[in-house]
Amino acid sequence: MKCADLQADVLVDLVDGRLDPAEQRDVERHLEACAECRALVIDLRSIRAAAFMLDRREPPAGVWNRLQSAVAAEPLPRARVQLMPTRQNWPVWLAAAAVLTLATTIGLWPLVSRSASSGGETVAADAPAEVTVESVTAEFEAAEKHYQKAIDDLQTIANKDTGELDPQVAAVLQKNLTVIDQAITESRAALRVQPSSTNAQDGLFDALRSKVALLQQTVELINEMRKGNQAEAGRRAQTLSQ
Amino acid sequence: MRNADLELVGRIRSGDGSAFEALYRQHATRLYNLASRMMGGHGEADDLLQDIFLLAYRKLGSFRGESSLGTWLYRLAMNHCLDVLRNRQTRMGQQTDSLDEPDAPPVASPVPLVGAVSRIDLERAIDALPPACRAAFLLHDVEGFGHQEVGAMLGISEGTSKSQVHKARMRIRYYLAHGVKS
Repeated sequence: MKCADLQADVLVDLVDGRLDPAEQRDVERHLEACAECRALVIDLRSIRAAAFMLDRREPPAGVWNRLQSAVAAEPLPRARVQLMPTRQNWPVWLAAAAVLTLATTIGLWPLVSRSASSGGETVAADAPAEVTVESVTAEFEAAEKHYQKAIDDLQTIANKDTGELDPQVAAVLQKNLTVIDQAITESRAALRVQPSSTNAQDGLFDALRSKVALLQQTVELINEMRKGNQAEAGRRAQTLSQ
Repeated sequence: MRNADLELVGRIRSGDGSAFEALYRQHATRLYNLASRMMGGHGEADDLLQDIFLLAYRKLGSFRGESSLGTWLYRLAMNHCLDVLRNRQTRMGQQTDSLDEPDAPPVASPVPLVGAVSRIDLERAIDALPPACRAAFLLHDVEGFGHQEVGAMLGISEGTSKSQVHKARMRIRYYLAHGVKS
């Protein structure tokens, strides 16, 4: 493999951990020999990891209150039946047309008429989906792995240096980590029962994010302490203890 | 998953306020952070989040379950953010036709980054990205969606999502090494 072979598609799959094993080995051999490509990959991985650990802010409560008032003034959203066939639902329309012709021919018109007036939306809803359950599950598992890697890295740093923390702060930190770990365990159990449940997936992601955020705050606190920035360290310790 | 989505939408259409609140609670935090980073300002993100959900409420009549409700909502949200940015660009009198390339792409950084990436610098670099590749980067690298989902949310192919995310990472690397042009 040469530097020129590390094109965008290879680099993005490499950084996302999605290269097939043979290609991964080829790339790694090249990286061992090429300092420039190695530095590029390290940088891209650092950027991805840092992006994943960016702060998450909660929207102010006022947004929901204003939205609630605005929605109260709106008419109810009515289900709209798609009147014109599109390329995507063409087979569905052909099937519907065939059923309609057959039903008319054998004298079931009243039955079809009732179904059409109540179930028009269902026809469109059954159109072929772009995203399969398998693909979503695979994407989800890849994302979860990414979270876990970030947690492992942060945990290593935090474990090494938590001895520097005030015992009271360390105790609160440990307690919070235990609560989050419990939430992660429960979310994983819920996902095993319902692998495609968005609620269960979101629950696990939220718990993993909370752990990343807590570990990140811990590492930042330790950094401030090392810099001798007592005021900032005190503020961060207070936030961590809340 | 689709059945649960259709059931929730059905409840909202029938006037169940708790169903719409459930939809809001499920997606508001992620959408708020996305909108905030797309626009680069908190105050605006409050209004934008409200607009996105109000728009979603009005358009729920056209939701047919062809994609998950989440994908449908993010697609609507990202389209709205890009529309707002486009209008802002027009108001500011910029002559660019596309949101993709407001300036020439930076060349690959020859200077490797040293140590951990600062969050402030990273936020600044994200803010400097062209909106279309910022959207793909935020959805994939910050929010953790897969390329297939990002493609569905932005109305682009999986391959284009990969290419936009890669372009964003390369630009961020350049900005972190050389600073963001003000």
